[in-house]
Amino acid sequence: MERPKIALYWCSSCGGCEESVLDLSENILKITESADIVFWPVALDTKYEEVNRMKDGEIAACLINGSIRMDEHEYMAQLLRKKSRIVIAHGSCAYIGGIYGLANFYKREECLNRAYKEVPSVKNPEGILPQAQSRDGEVEIELSGFHDLVKPLNHVIEVDYYIPGCPPNPENVFEAIMSVLQNRTLPKGNVFADQKALCATCSRRDTKPEKAVIKEIKRLHEWQWDPEKCFLAQDMICLGPATRGGCGERCIKANMPCRGCYGPTENIIDQGGKFLSALASIIDSKDKREIEKIADSILDMGGLFYRYCLPSSLLEKKVKSLSS
Amino acid sequence: MKDEKIRIGVYICECGPNIKEAMDVNEIAEFIRGFENVVLTKPFHLLCSEEGKTLIEKDIKEYQLTNIVLAACSPKEHEITFRKVLRNAGLNPFLLQIANIREQCAWVIKDKALATQKAKAMIAAAVKRVAYHEPLETKEIQCHSDVLVVGAGVAGISAALTLAQKNRKVYLVEKLPCIGGKVARYEKVFPSLECASCVLDPLLDEVLHNEHIELIAFSEIEEVLGFYGNFIVKVRKKARFVDSTTCIGCGACSEACPVKIKNEYNEGLDNRKAIYIPYPGALPHVAVIDGKHCLHLQGKECNACQDACPFGSIRYEDTDQIQELEVGAIVLATGFDIFDPKKVSRYGYGKIKNVYTSLEFERLLNSTGPTEGKILLKNGQPPKRIGLIHCVGSRTKKYHEYCSGICCMYSLKFSHLIKEQLPDSSITEFYSDFCLPGRESQSFFKKLADKKGVNFIQVKNIDSVELKKKDNTILVKYRDINGKIKGRSFDLVILSVALEAARNARELAEIFDISQDKDGFFLEEHTNIAPVSTSVGGIFIAGCAHGPKDIQGAVAEGQAAAGRILSKLIPGEKLSLEPITAEVDEDLCSGCKTCISLCPYKALTYDQKKKTVSVNEVLCRGCGICVATCPGAAIKARHFTDKQIVAEIKGLLQR
Amino acid sequence: MNSFEPKIIAFLCNWCSYECADSVGRAQKEYPSNLRVVRVMCSGRVDPQFVIKAFKEDAEGIMILGCHAGECHYKEGNYQALRRYILLKKMLAQFGIEGGRLRLHWVSASEGDKFVTIVSEMVRDLKKLGPLLLRDMER
Repeated sequence: MERPKIALYWCSSCGGCEESVLDLSENILKITESADIVFWPVALDTKYEEVNRMKDGEIAACLINGSIRMDEHEYMAQLLRKKSRIVIAHGSCAYIGGIYGLANFYKREECLNRAYKEVPSVKNPEGILPQAQSRDGEVEIELSGFHDLVKPLNHVIEVDYYIPGCPPNPENVFEAIMSVLQNRTLPKGNVFADQKALCATCSRRDTKPEKAVIKEIKRLHEWQWDPEKCFLAQDMICLGPATRGGCGERCIKANMPCRGCYGPTENIIDQGGKFLSALASIIDSKDKREIEKIADSILDMGGLFYRYCLPSSLLEKKVKSLSS
Repeated sequence: MKDEKIRIGVYICECGPNIKEAMDVNEIAEFIRGFENVVLTKPFHLLCSEEGKTLIEKDIKEYQLTNIVLAACSPKEHEITFRKVLRNAGLNPFLLQIANIREQCAWVIKDKALATQKAKAMIAAAVKRVAYHEPLETKEIQCHSDVLVVGAGVAGISAALTLAQKNRKVYLVEKLPCIGGKVARYEKVFPSLECASCVLDPLLDEVLHNEHIELIAFSEIEEVLGFYGNFIVKVRKKARFVDSTTCIGCGACSEACPVKIKNEYNEGLDNRKAIYIPYPGALPHVAVIDGKHCLHLQGKECNACQDACPFGSIRYEDTDQIQELEVGAIVLATGFDIFDPKKVSRYGYGKIKNVYTSLEFERLLNSTGPTEGKILLKNGQPPKRIGLIHCVGSRTKKYHEYCSGICCMYSLKFSHLIKEQLPDSSITEFYSDFCLPGRESQSFFKKLADKKGVNFIQVKNIDSVELKKKDNTILVKYRDINGKIKGRSFDLVILSVALEAARNARELAEIFDISQDKDGFFLEEHTNIAPVSTSVGGIFIAGCAHGPKDIQGAVAEGQAAAGRILSKLIPGEKLSLEPITAEVDEDLCSGCKTCISLCPYKALTYDQKKKTVSVNEVLCRGCGICVATCPGAAIKARHFTDKQIVAEIKGLLQR
Repeated sequence: MNSFEPKIIAFLCNWCSYECADSVGRAQKEYPSNLRVVRVMCSGRVDPQFVIKAFKEDAEGIMILGCHAGECHYKEGNYQALRRYILLKKMLAQFGIEGGRLRLHWVSASEGDKFVTIVSEMVRDLKKLGPLLLRDMER
């Protein structure tokens, strides 16, 4: 009987999701003992052509990480969708847009200008920006087109399952792959993470009193906090209550508050908006000016509340209004 | 969301000409007919008529409609009416949505095309929303119909007597060893100037002998658990050290007792013994030992009272007892305390002789008081010139901004009674404004103003009044209405002090979990329309615990609280609960506890074992604060769910 | 731009503001038809997610109307609405959504004239701001 085939691909990616596969450690052998990895650009030299030649649905499970930002990403996502039975969005970028998604607060031109012209360490006196098509003497150079927006995977193809995380917990990666290899029937859209928010498994939950309201917000660099107490009970922003658990609380254990990388729980419509609601609700003041002062102390609300999920949020990006 | 199981019937009411002439009903009907899940769209001339209601009922059965949308007048007008129609047709009453196309469309938009456009959006929203409606049941719970009344003053007694009925028991808990509160220590009450005990004693008698009222005197509330219909209350019955079944109140024990202490029932104007009856005529007429001052109970040698008692009623070995009560509702009628003028040195209270608070003066007037009702100076002589200072502690930013409401009347009462006893005396009332509301106050004032020797002086700033000792008299310095500083001398001055929240109000508020206003009085649920209930279901407030008021007001509130309870908590019947409440999905609740302290009704509790939050459906009022707050979206607002509201938004914005 | 008619989603609380809107209707006072009302029991029910969703669905302006300070039927729900509104308004600015598009007002059931003024002013201001163009086609 033919051994099932597994593929992995990276779009706009930092490589952390690849490392989450490496972090399977010996468990990788459990996968390779029954399946073959046929396409994995970071580790294997398989060409796109070989993928093209595969039959539709020939790949049992394809894990795609990274967000969609370039033509190439979209092309490969669609190709792999065709050739795979199950496509799994691997990591927060593919799941909900990832940190790259924060670029959606800026226009395409602003991003390119910043990277190629404005950054202090760049020397680009002619102000050359990468083009999709250009010439160098006789040679035609094609670069993959750079999109206006960062998108999560399910904005360009149909996705079957999701593994959240930046990076994902290797346990969730393992579970996802094995679920396909073991032919488990899971609902479409299944997320390999806890159903409940992080607080359910957080070791600091019991240190949080039933009344935890705030009169000010303390930022990380401003002070030394209690390494065993709930962050919100110490006036620090922690997105744990609005974020799925299952990550193993690695940040909490490293004494850092949750930043929301595992994405929203299932009934949340917009992760950033929901967390904003919860945070506003615990402000201990009825005075407009006092509340505004606390609001002003959060310098980048959009970035903080939508750190990993801006492209998959309701607004997705900075909007354009006729008056702007 | 297309679903074969959903069959929506849409009825557009023409409301006579009101809606029909303001928009194109047929165009709207055509538009709605094209919507998902809509199987029936009918304009009708008047839906709230018998004909209209019958039609809907018939259609529901005939077309197996599962959800109904009515485009008509405001839901605040007829939601209840049409919910009944659904119920009669066998459909859950909450599977209805009303689009308000009269008050919020036809009547406010003159342009027919614009009105039609808005109506389409409103009905589209209702159609989309109703597809997500879920049947809701009005649940019922068992409840206790017994009631706890805390405080046996005039408000508490009024509540208790109104409540005491067959099959309904009242526990009346009183902190002091005697009942009747402040009124029992007054001589006369305004405006009739009837004797207070004539008014009060029949009520006190009834309380002591009513078989449905269990008086627990000399006791305090220690703990309250539970909720409306099911409160569990722990009462600490303090040791009296006297057997109340055999003591007849003869007073032989007090005669014999060697210990003298300042008598708090006479505001410290005279002394009492360590074993005492609060005042002559105090009910229940049973002695009580003050454990802190009794020699025997402090471990010293003394059996004076035991030896003197002809009935062997002394029980030195008495201990505090805890009694647990199961009640369905609670009335807090814990009264008030007076402002302490020692705080304000310019009144000279406690330094200058013959300066009295109003409560002290009540005791001077009272035949059971330290002077047996004779108005006397400290030197034993009757005064000739008496001054009364209004607004001591009231209506001033420094102490209490509010007006205590009864001081003007009781000051007038004092003047009346002083004139009666000392017809040749001269009385001067210093006031800044006169508060005389109600039917009889003005004539009460006029009767006094017409008497000889009674003067009213309006002062420019009540905070400017100063009392100084001048030889053997009291000089009252004040600014007259023109701002000129003047002075008058008196033999005796009465300070009409403010009514304040009781000193233990904070403690009580914590035990019962109710709110206080900024002055410490218990806060009502709504100033105008719910004055005797609190935001905690099942706990009611009455009398001065709820703010300064006169006896009539206190009695009215006591009876009102009783009325509220009698109509809701009926023996044998279950308490029906609000169906539109919040619901926590335990599979999604992470136990982050963000919601708990935000509930105005304390309806959210954290289960320490399950580590999740749950909603007490008896206490939840369905405001939705917790739902919007929940960062994990684990709480659902029944009938106002996220899905329903989002569907409504989509419908309203539909192109 | 002349034919631009902004759509406003207004969250009205059952006890004060919805009652106020009904009273305006009973008095038959006109106000712009741009207003689309969502009835909630308390302004404290208004979830910032609804506001964001409404903008996403092409609302040009959002209004939250609750009871005056100290008059909330549920004690302090209106303060919850205020807190969320302040933070949300600030965050929406980062998304390019102008402050004038999200408004919070406290009205009592008897302030019909204030209601008409608030709505008319918002329509006038939104016409100047123009459409939000959330769906502008970008690749």
